[in-house]
Amino acid sequence: MTQPLSPITPAVPLTHQSLPFPPLHGRAGFSGFPSPAQDYEQRTLDLNVRLIKNPTHTFYLTATGDSMEGWGIFDRDLLVVDRSLSPRLGHILVAMFDDELLIKRYALYRGTPHLCSAHPHYPPLPLEDSDCQVWGVVRAVIHEYLR
Amino acid sequence: MIGLVDANNFYVSCERVFQPHLEGKAVGVMSNNDGCVIARSAEMKAMDIPMGTPAFKLEGLRQRGEIHLLSSNYELYGDMSARLAQLLRDACPDIAPYSIDEMFVYLEGMSEHQCQALGDRLRRDIQRCLGLPVCIGLAPTHTLAKLANHAAKKQPHYQGVCLLAGNDASTTALLKQTPVSEVWGVGRRLAERLAINGIHSALDLRECDKKQLRKRFSVVLARTALELRGTSCLTMNAVDQPRQRIMTSRSFGQPTGVKTQVHEALRRHAQRSATKLREQHSLARSVMLFLKTNRHRRDQPQYFPHTLVALPTPSDDTRVVLDAVRQGLEQIYRPGYRFMKAGVMLLDLVDAQQHQLSLLDAPARHHPRLMATVDAINQRMGQDTIRFGMTDDEAPWQLRCAHRSKRYTTRWDELLEVGTHPGAIADARARRQQSQP
Repeated sequence: MTQPLSPITPAVPLTHQSLPFPPLHGRAGFSGFPSPAQDYEQRTLDLNVRLIKNPTHTFYLTATGDSMEGWGIFDRDLLVVDRSLSPRLGHILVAMFDDELLIKRYALYRGTPHLCSAHPHYPPLPLEDSDCQVWGVVRAVIHEYLR
Repeated sequence: MIGLVDANNFYVSCERVFQPHLEGKAVGVMSNNDGCVIARSAEMKAMDIPMGTPAFKLEGLRQRGEIHLLSSNYELYGDMSARLAQLLRDACPDIAPYSIDEMFVYLEGMSEHQCQALGDRLRRDIQRCLGLPVCIGLAPTHTLAKLANHAAKKQPHYQGVCLLAGNDASTTALLKQTPVSEVWGVGRRLAERLAINGIHSALDLRECDKKQLRKRFSVVLARTALELRGTSCLTMNAVDQPRQRIMTSRSFGQPTGVKTQVHEALRRHAQRSATKLREQHSLARSVMLFLKTNRHRRDQPQYFPHTLVALPTPSDDTRVVLDAVRQGLEQIYRPGYRFMKAGVMLLDLVDAQQHQLSLLDAPARHHPRLMATVDAINQRMGQDTIRFGMTDDEAPWQLRCAHRSKRYTTRWDELLEVGTHPGAIADARARRQQSQP
């Protein structure tokens, strides 16, 4: 049941139009002086651009526990984890150790690579002869003071 | 060259990315509503548990811890699939997603050697960046790429990437050992008919006379034979073409006969259908709705009504569709039946851009901006952020998904938790339970 097309052009086009979003031409107040800044490029800073190099292989995780506080990771902090990076000494890693995912710092301890925590309770875990699997590299930690 | 990238046991692999302890264990994913097994890990396949096994038959194995059964988590699988597509898009000149776990990549102008190298690199990158194991088949045509992918999956010596040049001895050897039923587009029935005509292997089909095939079987099969020879004659466009009808239907978590609850389920489906309609920039001329009782329950009265409601003017407005659904339900609803499934289908679709207001069309309630805003908010904040009318999340028609993993990549409150030391998560959980009286 096709309807005959009308030759009349509709007064109101039915196509989708993007929402009108006025550019932020700042104006110096009521009297109508143009803002001296209006010819400068309008940019907004986007945290995504800064913290996420490639969203395809970036994942967000939640930290649990207090033994990484020495390196600035607190309980319930948000971790920005990049899976594309190859781990290097000094990186904070998410790794699978004995069937559990853990946040640890990849560092040398007595000359050999270990996964270290920032708490004396938890001694460094030697990487040699372990079946540790790296899940990703922590690129950033987001600590929210107000939630 | 054309490549087919296919994720191994995709649903299970997605789950394992976020639950690495499931690696090496027998894992199955169940259908909507936890009905039956729709995806199995290699370990589960090795236990001879067939696809489609009803979940209740596996309850014993599950309780003994021999297998892990998960509810399907489509939000997670959809997101991982989108990531896979994006990774390929960044690395290849052109790609075409074929299904949630299969993507074609088009590598025009690259030598065989370069294709092989790219295939190896893609496989490594996908494993590392997404945690997903994939197999890749590379060949001059879609049909051969599909076969190459199959070989990459089944024959370990390819190490997950199989390249078929199309006209060399190794391609011929592989086609010879491939039953014709495994060729893309050859179903079981057709394979039986081919067998009567002495065509058993993919090689037999390739060597057939094209004209004979067209005469005795079909144009499609003749094309398939050409594709096996390395002449590309299939083009991928089916996925992007706007659909002719849009259907949303679901089984209920539990059967219900309460009219308001049935209405609620239909309203939910109507909203989803209208969103899909606007995504493809179409307008619908009519709305069909149907209800179903459980036909396996012979002891209960059966009723499978459906009705079609014509819209006054073609529309993509959710409120118009909802209105039609309300009218339709009035027509078909009868008390005393326990309904198991409901669905809403939008049909007689027209292109929104091409549709013009005819003089006879009644002035319609067109609010494209309102709908665009709703869609934009739902896209950004998550499905169902804005809904038309409240729905009850505890309603019986809501899906049963008792064993669904978290939606790790799409919900802020369901992120993967990672401990700073062994036992940290268990400790935190215990503390939380203590603090809740």
